[in-house]
Amino acid sequence: MSRVRRGRRSWWWRYPLALAMIGFALLPVLWVVSASLNPAKTLVGASLLPENPGFVNYDDLINHPSYPYETWLWNSIKITVISVSLTVMITTLAGYALSRFRFAGKKAFMTGILILNVFPAVLSIIALFGMMQQIGTQISWLGLDTHGGLIAIYVSFGMGINVLLVKAYIDRLPRELDESALVDGATYGQVFRKIVFPLIRPIIVTVSVLQFFAVYGDFVIARVMLRSTDNLTVMVGLLLFQTQRFEQDWGVITAGAVLASLPVLLLYIPVQKYVISGLTSGSVKE
Amino acid sequence: MLTKDQRVPTSLYVRTALITVAFAVGALWLVRALLLDGLVMLASVVSAVTIFLLLVYLRRRYSAMRWMAIGVVFAALFGVYPILFNIYIGFTNMGNGHLFSKEQSIERLESEQYLPEGSSTFEWKGYQSADGYAIVLIDADPPRFVSESGADETVELDPNGEPPATIDDYRVMAPNQVLPIIDSLADLDFGDPDAPVRIQSFRAAAASQQRYRYDADLDAVIDLSNGVPHQAKEGSWVGPDGGELVPGFISVVGADNFDRFLSNDNLRTPLLRVVVWNFAFAFFSVALSFLVGLGVSMLFDDLPGRRIIRALLIVPYPIPVLVSVLIWRSMLNPDLGTIGEFLAAIFGSSPQFFLDPMWTRIALIVVNIYLSYPYFYVVTSGALRVIPEEQYDAAEVDGAGPWQRFRYITFPQLTVIVMPLLIASFSFNFNNFNLVYIFNNGNPPMADTIIPVGQTDILISFIYKLAFVTSGASDYGLGAAISVALFVVVGSITWFQIRATRALEAR
Repeated sequence: MSRVRRGRRSWWWRYPLALAMIGFALLPVLWVVSASLNPAKTLVGASLLPENPGFVNYDDLINHPSYPYETWLWNSIKITVISVSLTVMITTLAGYALSRFRFAGKKAFMTGILILNVFPAVLSIIALFGMMQQIGTQISWLGLDTHGGLIAIYVSFGMGINVLLVKAYIDRLPRELDESALVDGATYGQVFRKIVFPLIRPIIVTVSVLQFFAVYGDFVIARVMLRSTDNLTVMVGLLLFQTQRFEQDWGVITAGAVLASLPVLLLYIPVQKYVISGLTSGSVKE
Repeated sequence: MLTKDQRVPTSLYVRTALITVAFAVGALWLVRALLLDGLVMLASVVSAVTIFLLLVYLRRRYSAMRWMAIGVVFAALFGVYPILFNIYIGFTNMGNGHLFSKEQSIERLESEQYLPEGSSTFEWKGYQSADGYAIVLIDADPPRFVSESGADETVELDPNGEPPATIDDYRVMAPNQVLPIIDSLADLDFGDPDAPVRIQSFRAAAASQQRYRYDADLDAVIDLSNGVPHQAKEGSWVGPDGGELVPGFISVVGADNFDRFLSNDNLRTPLLRVVVWNFAFAFFSVALSFLVGLGVSMLFDDLPGRRIIRALLIVPYPIPVLVSVLIWRSMLNPDLGTIGEFLAAIFGSSPQFFLDPMWTRIALIVVNIYLSYPYFYVVTSGALRVIPEEQYDAAEVDGAGPWQRFRYITFPQLTVIVMPLLIASFSFNFNNFNLVYIFNNGNPPMADTIIPVGQTDILISFIYKLAFVTSGASDYGLGAAISVALFVVVGSITWFQIRATRALEAR
């Protein structure tokens, strides 16, 4: 329950305020959806309720002569799903080991993760660019303008905080659960697969969603790493689209923006609870 | 006699040995290739990672690390190495025309061909097969067949002067087959790799020769067409007349890049202005988003209907930042956007949100509040629940009004709880490239500067401009040097954060 002191505080004047705040939150969303349904296509004189709403813009977007929107969307989904899967695999294995094993260098390792976590990828963007260009001369699928290279960067930078989240979660599971299985002759691998992994599903959902948001929403790294039109992610494509045809193709751009947001929204709604718990972890220990 | 149980480890040993050898050979090949290209740093980090993996998987002592090995490899290659490499780049001249190692630059120059003066050109006809392309030089004496794979043989023309339709596996191509691929054909070398024949135009092909050769004794690249040496000097191949060959190479220039923005007024002044705005932007973004989020959770969390209010107010959170900023960008457009029109209707004219630096800054912070308040709303509404109810009751008994209760109970306790998050958010916003770049690309531009920099640029977007936008004059060295400064700022902020967290835990 929240700090309820009902009856003591008057509340009616807070409704208009809430309404104003909801307007601030929703206006942009309503506006973009309405613009995407407006066949007039331009920004000029756009009103919130379009005349003759329809899906013309969406048609034009899918059949756009020079921008392969579907390919971009597919690229984004592919890159995101692979990055998230790798991140979950790496962070759960490492989180389990960090939580349950004692080994030399563990403390240094944890400090290393913390330090690495401090410097976001964008700070090293020049070095990442130079490095990918160098690697590409030897390993072609990992160089510039490849999805392999981009995924490697996302996975590396998504690890830090997520390993710590998983470790903290496993720390809270009673040790007796896995220890009794070990006594019964199970290997660590079996304990991890059969006991630990099913128990940590909530944190896996949190980690997946946060990483999904980060990777799917990124455009700066993708912008620097990817070159050819067919290789772009939907965020980079959208940005390109709007810088080149901001006013003429406004309707198509908004249709693109709405479609690009859909995967995130569809994912977000069922798992809201986990995301919020992920956001608050660290601030409030309940 | 071996029992069945004892044989299993033997096969396991064999398998382990095979995998180890295959892995080690692959890694060695990669390291060798990198070294041949002069990429010493990359070769060392690949070696280190290889040794680490071998140790961890072969020695039982390090078995706990097996669970983390893949993660460590990723982090080392794409997390730690870029940071070190970035620092290194800060001390080099890397940039446009200096993108390669010396070895790579030599390799590229030596692969350049030229057409010696007085060499004759030939009429050609294209052929293709599963192995690739070939051409026949019809008016050579005698007519020759030269292929991409290096073949060079004479051919007989028929009485009409036409070459055969098929030669070995190759079939002649019609002009309409040649036309669409003429550009890719022009990139191919036909015949002897040392003096290959190249296509000059739709009609003509000619034998070309190697243009440059590196002389290790002189440490210079010789232009074989005229014998002029180009001396290696600070990352460039400099000829006697001062002309440089392209591409040059990366070379260490010491602290020059740092010197440049410390001693050069043309760089220092804009950089200082960027830094001041960068701190202001991060501070106001965090402070105002936090206050809005806190206000929302204090005012609406105990209203009847709060579930719906809460669900609606969190809506901006999952929308991709790019999409939200694009929407705001268009709504604020003074001539076309909804808000622009609305303000114009009330005040007669709309502020120039993209041209006037002050209004651009205000708009940036408002948009950032939109993006960030849901986070602080969620966080503060969780944190408020932790403050014990009794304290409020006691305060009320003592006659404290709502403001005093907030001032002396809620605010101090809350800030302590969320301080680490506030600092983390400050650090995030200090590098909030996405918002600044999408909203107005750091513009409006600063006047009287020799470098491209805008009045709303923050350090990271400034670095991006230096490195990736200035067409033809990308300066990675300078950008990387500024990133190093950014590492220091971000590092210090985090140090404060860790101390704040410790202080909180000590309570």
